[in-house]
Amino acid sequence: MAETASESFTLVITGAPYSSQAPQTALGFAQAAVDAGHRIDRVFLYGDGVHLASALSAPPSDETHWPEAWSQFLTEHSIPGVACIASALRRGLVNETEQKRYELPASNLRAPFEIAGLGEWVEGRIKSTRTLYFHAGD
Amino acid sequence: MSTLIMIDQAPYGTWSGREALDMAFSLAAFDQAASLLFTGAGVNWLKKGQEAGGIGQKSVDKNLAAAPIFGIEAILADRAACRTYGLDENSLIGGVTQVDADAALLAAYDHTAFAG
Repeated sequence: MAETASESFTLVITGAPYSSQAPQTALGFAQAAVDAGHRIDRVFLYGDGVHLASALSAPPSDETHWPEAWSQFLTEHSIPGVACIASALRRGLVNETEQKRYELPASNLRAPFEIAGLGEWVEGRIKSTRTLYFHAGD
Repeated sequence: MSTLIMIDQAPYGTWSGREALDMAFSLAAFDQAASLLFTGAGVNWLKKGQEAGGIGQKSVDKNLAAAPIFGIEAILADRAACRTYGLDENSLIGGVTQVDADAALLAAYDHTAFAG
């Protein structure tokens, strides 16, 4: 394989697990990129993509657990995973801070994901050499 | 670094257009050059006199009215799509520029992005 210059990536996932292929395709890309010596600066979940950060997903045991697979990958490679706060609040994905703020009965953000604003996406696209989008495709 | 945010889906049936608008506003709020391009069924965002109260939503043209305040550089509409949906200067909201959404247009921007 020819030597290529090292790239840094911001990945944006807008498709939800189990209703789209987006999180799976993005993970396949991220693993290949890291294996090839490139860097993933951050993963930003937007729109329906925030469902990937749910701590309450419980797929059947013979199916891949995409939220868990992504959490392990992020932790293993110390990559920040950020769910857009506006997308997350609309869809019922909250951390303890937002649970308290909105007086909700529970929180369900899966570690190591964090909740933050679109500014994280803006900063990622400035910092990374490339920003890639993984959409639901419908 | 200039970015073109594209909206190609009709308003109200999906939330992705509103989330695309938030992306554009966010770029502008962080002093990044951003423009909006409406193509396909997305041009219906730009129709004058929308009344979305009946379906419990806010009219998208009201959201769009904030674009100049945020510093969005241009609101572009694909000319062919406008023709397809019977929209002309008289039925479009103000501040919209009709363009040909072709390779030459996209080449004028460093980045293009959809919300979903």
